[in-house]
Amino acid sequence: MTERDILLKKIGTLKFAIVDIDLFLDTHPGDTETLKKRDAYEAQLMPLVKEYEAKFGPLTKTDNETNTWTWVKDPWPWDTEA
Amino acid sequence: MFVYEKQLQYPVRIKNTNPALAKLIITQYGGPDGELGASVRYLSQRFSMPLPELKATLTDVGTEELNHLEMIGAIVYQLTRGLSEEEIKKAGFDAYFVDHTAGIYPNSAAGVPWSAMSVAVKGDPITDLHESLAAEQKARTTYDNILRFCDDPDVIDPIRFLRAREVVHYQRFGENLRLLTDQLDSKNFYAFNPSYDKDCFKNKKKK
Repeated sequence: MTERDILLKKIGTLKFAIVDIDLFLDTHPGDTETLKKRDAYEAQLMPLVKEYEAKFGPLTKTDNETNTWTWVKDPWPWDTEA
Repeated sequence: MFVYEKQLQYPVRIKNTNPALAKLIITQYGGPDGELGASVRYLSQRFSMPLPELKATLTDVGTEELNHLEMIGAIVYQLTRGLSEEEIKKAGFDAYFVDHTAGIYPNSAAGVPWSAMSVAVKGDPITDLHESLAAEQKARTTYDNILRFCDDPDVIDPIRFLRAREVVHYQRFGENLRLLTDQLDSKNFYAFNPSYDKDCFKNKKKK
């Protein structure tokens, strides 16, 4: 796995944990322990997303920090370089 | 409103093509219990839901199904890249190929195009939640059947992930049904449609 793959996997793992927690919170909106867990994962996720986007381009269409529209850059999620 | 994230929910990295398997797996793209139908079903059912928890669950599960649709598309795409005419013919992929080449088209394993007839939106939350619970089980069974024909770990891994999500969604929809029935006349849940008829809720506040 490349550095990009490893970083993307870490991000995907945390994002998935948050998605799963969100579904649980939808039916247990008053569960403060779970809310705390969500905050903790979110805090871990943010710096990784920043690092990834600085190195490999945007995951969402937020600030485009260069002179070209980096959103279009390959690879797209269904591509594999393998 | 939706925002695209340039990442699959779970990685799909398939080294070896397998058009015969792609022909089966595409049923979870556009077949009767596939991910396209799942997202359309939940994202449509949510509008007439009477409780905020139910609106939230259907919105979030319906959105997650769009991730799964993308994953299935990626699996089929990677299983059918760069095939020779010989390989296409041998695998029985030629019937699909003449209509779609190696494009990703929503149809079932038997080649039937996706149909809204495979989803239901009844506008009654009890009916709709049962439809959704059944849909998760039907999708789980389909993934179980797909796994019977998989021997490539690159394919088995993401399919197992998707199968597990069906089980979790089923759990959440079960909680939805309980949240709803807890607020209705416990002696007769089915007397009225709580999204249409008045005074169905114990506290009478909800419509």
